[in-house]
Amino acid sequence: MGKAEYKVAGGKLIRIQLVKKEGRIEKLKITGDFFLHPEELIDDLEKALVDQTLSMPDLDEFIGAFIERRGGTLLGASSEDFAKCITMAAENE
Amino acid sequence: MTEKWRLLDTGLNDAFSNMALDEAIVMARSRNLVPNTLRFFRWNPSAVSIGYFQGMEEEVDIKACDERGIDYVRRRTGGGAVYHDRDGELTYSLIVNKDHRLISDDFQKTYETLCSGLVLGLRRMEIPAEFKAINDIIVDGKKISGNAQTRGMDVVHQHGTILREVNPALMFTLLKVPNEKIRDKMIKAVGERVTSINGYLKRNTTFEELKDAFLRGFEEAFKIELVPGETIESEQQSSVRLQTEKYATKEWNFKR
Repeated sequence: MGKAEYKVAGGKLIRIQLVKKEGRIEKLKITGDFFLHPEELIDDLEKALVDQTLSMPDLDEFIGAFIERRGGTLLGASSEDFAKCITMAAENE
Repeated sequence: MTEKWRLLDTGLNDAFSNMALDEAIVMARSRNLVPNTLRFFRWNPSAVSIGYFQGMEEEVDIKACDERGIDYVRRRTGGGAVYHDRDGELTYSLIVNKDHRLISDDFQKTYETLCSGLVLGLRRMEIPAEFKAINDIIVDGKKISGNAQTRGMDVVHQHGTILREVNPALMFTLLKVPNEKIRDKMIKAVGERVTSINGYLKRNTTFEELKDAFLRGFEEAFKIELVPGETIESEQQSSVRLQTEKYATKEWNFKR
């Protein structure tokens, strides 16, 4: 399992635990002190990220579009910060 | 005529019933059974709460809490882990209808508006406080209050801390630190980053004095009148159910 922590400048902390397979996400858990509204969206986001390619720009776009489509709001972190932390965790596996 | 809100002072309760009652009030507000509400409360025993997205075992030293009889609970709001000292903290909750004039679609703006009651409360106590985005209130650059907000059931729920006293050494005994070598450094850093009402005023304030200042701060900032009230039966029933079925369960507290 790969783990990473990323402190957003002037913002919050994101922690990722991830298992990868052939350049894609097999399993991941996102924790931290950020705000995501509605909160329950986090479970759906984690599920939606399974099988996504571990590329930072693709993940950034995917997460941003997912949250927007579901009418969600992130506060204290951005989709780019999430993407960055996910790729960091993948490198640490 | 001045708009009237309910003022609740629920005193000392354990972490699970404290968090359950907050959600029970949200449910009652959503069904229009109760007015917009400001609640003051405290924690007995002292407790650690973690944000909705945090991992309990990542943030909290469970063994250290168990040894000291300190509760740990997951909040329904995001944000960070907080140590709620029985004698060091006054906690508040605001439960407000989403259509209210104080509520904006912009979360950041709503934080600032709802926190303005705390800022005025602190200023009434001669503490020159200011709001600091995202969700803090600071004085002389040091944090004195942290706040967290969520929305659901057409209701905005914000709760937060008002630090009367602060004990960074105890806080870092209960919260996990990345490694033991930096524990002392972190304690020192918190001492430099966080302040309290007693610390700033260099005197021992009472909880009654704090509640009085803050309720007046909220009245002035929100242009409302706070009317002391009680919880209704439906809130009490939902609170007991939420405590048993949610906030006191391992499933909820260790879900992340």
